[in-house]
Amino acid sequence: MNPLIEVRDLSYTYRAGTSGGVKALSRVNLEVKHGEFLAITGQNGSGKSTLARHFNGLLTPSEGEVLVEGLSVAERANIPAIRRLVGMVFQNPDNQLISSVVEEDVAFGPENLGLSPFEIRQRVDQAIKILKLENLRFESPNYLSEGQKQLVAIAGVLAMKPSCIVLDEPTAHLDPRGRREVLENIRRLNREEGITIILLTHFMDEAIHCDRMIVMNRGKVEMEGPPAGMFRQRDQILSLGLNFPVAAQLAEGLRLRGIDLPDDIIHPEEIINCLCRLK
Amino acid sequence: MELTKNITLGVYLPGKSFIHRLDPRTKILAAGLLIALLLFTRSYEAYSLFTLFTAAIIVSAGIPLGYAARGLRPMLPVLVLMWIFQLFLYSTPDADIIFSWWIFTATDAGLHMGNLITLRVLFLFMVTTILTLTTSIVSLTDGLESLLSPLRRIGLPAQELVMTMVIALRFVLILAEELDKIVKAQMARGVAFDRGNFIQKTKKIFPVFLPLFINAFKRAEELITAMEARSYSGGKGRTKMKTLHMGRVDLTAGGIIIVYAALTVYIIMSVAPRI
Repeated sequence: MNPLIEVRDLSYTYRAGTSGGVKALSRVNLEVKHGEFLAITGQNGSGKSTLARHFNGLLTPSEGEVLVEGLSVAERANIPAIRRLVGMVFQNPDNQLISSVVEEDVAFGPENLGLSPFEIRQRVDQAIKILKLENLRFESPNYLSEGQKQLVAIAGVLAMKPSCIVLDEPTAHLDPRGRREVLENIRRLNREEGITIILLTHFMDEAIHCDRMIVMNRGKVEMEGPPAGMFRQRDQILSLGLNFPVAAQLAEGLRLRGIDLPDDIIHPEEIINCLCRLK
Repeated sequence: MELTKNITLGVYLPGKSFIHRLDPRTKILAAGLLIALLLFTRSYEAYSLFTLFTAAIIVSAGIPLGYAARGLRPMLPVLVLMWIFQLFLYSTPDADIIFSWWIFTATDAGLHMGNLITLRVLFLFMVTTILTLTTSIVSLTDGLESLLSPLRRIGLPAQELVMTMVIALRFVLILAEELDKIVKAQMARGVAFDRGNFIQKTKKIFPVFLPLFINAFKRAEELITAMEARSYSGGKGRTKMKTLHMGRVDLTAGGIIIVYAALTVYIIMSVAPRI
C-alpha cells in the first residue's frame, strides 16, 4: 500500500526571497503509513510545527514535495481534498473553537464541506459519541476545562472523517488530568477508529505510546525509530535537548545503583514488571 | 476587578423556554422592531409598558432577573454621566428651572431628556442582551444570514460578515478574561489602578491594553489557521447542520409582538412626548 503522506526532500524557508529569510526545514524525507501512530519531537524551533503544517497544505514547500495520498500539497486544486484527509488540532483550544455551543462547533468542519444537514447531524453525533462528550454537547466552550475544550476541538476534526489527524502540541496548555484525558482519546482514535495519528510533542511520556518516533533538530530529521530503541541512545537524545520518559529516568537511576534492569525501559508498566521479578 | 462576571452581552444561556425555541429570524426581527419602537418612545407611559414587556420576556425566558441586571453594571458610569450631561446641558426656552448653582442650571426639560435618553440606552442594551442570552451564536448567525442573504445579489458578502460577527462575539468573554489576567499581573507587580489623578490613572491603562491588543492579533492569526485547516473558505459552498423553519411558536410570538407594537404606537400617538 502506498504511504498516506510522503515527504520528499522538503525544504521550507520563511519569508523566502527576502534578506530576512529563515530556513526552517532542510531536505526532510519522511513517510507516514496508514494507521500508524507517529510522534514528532524536538526542541522549540526544531521545525516540527513547520513540517506538520505541510501535511494539510497550510504551508507549501519551498523546495521538494509533499504528497498526501499521492496528491501534491503544492497544487492549489488539491487543497480541499487534502484538508478532508488530514485534520489538524492546535495547541490552544480557545483559538480554534468558533462557536459558543459545543455541538455547533463540532459541526463547523462538516458544514464547510457542503454536506447535507442530515449527514452533518450524523457525523456530529458520531464524533461526540466517540469522544464521550454527550453531556457537554449544548454547553458553551467557555465553561469547559482546557482538556474538555481540546476534546471538542478533536471532535470537530473527527466529524470531518479524516484519515489522519495531526496534533500540534495539543497538551501543552493542559493540566496533568487534561493531558491524560486527551492522550488516552488520541490513542483510542488510533487503535479503535484506525485513524493515523501524528502527534507533535515535547513530552517524552506522551511520545512513548507511539509506533514510531521522529526527533527533529534544526530543520532536519535527526533520529527515527520505535521509541524504545531511541531512548537507548542516551547521549544523542541529550544532545538534541530532549529528556527521558519518567520510567527510563528511574530505570537509569536504579541501574547506576547496581540494579540489573534492561536499557530499553520506557513504560511505567515495564519497570514495575521488571522490579517485581527481582528478588 | 472581576470583569468577566459582569459581562452578559454575547453570553448564551442555554434553555428550553418559549423564547429559546423561537426561530432566530423571529427573534432578530422582533428585537429590530423593539429597537425601532424605542427610537420613537418619548414618554414615561410608553417606557412603563416597555419595562413590563421586557420583564415578561426575561421571566418567560427563564433568565434570572439578577443575572440580567448584573450585565448593566459595567454600563452604569456611562449612563450616569449621560444623565448628568443631559440634565445640565439640555434646556428649552419655556422650561422651568428646578436647580441652579454657579454655572450649573438644571431644568425640567433637561431632567426629562436625561431620564428618557438613559432609559432608551438601557433598553437598547437590554433588548440585545436578551437576544444573545436566549439565542446561541450559531442560530443567531444562521438567522442573520438567512435574513441578509437576499442582499447577496447586490454584492453584500452576508455570510462572511456574519461569520466575522460570530467570532467577535465568541471572543468577548475570552478577551475579557485576558484583560482580567493582565490587570492582575500588573497589580501583582505593584500597579495601583485605583490611585492617582485622572491623568495618572489613564497612563496606567496603556500597559494593560497594549498586551491585550497584541494577544488579540495573535489569537486572530491562530484562529484563521484553525479555520482554514477545517476547510473554511468563505461562505460559498457551505451548508448548515440546522435548517431554519418557522413554526407555531413563531406565529404566536409574532402575534404578541404585533399587539405590543400596536399598543406602543397608540401610546406614542396619544400621549404628548416629554421631549
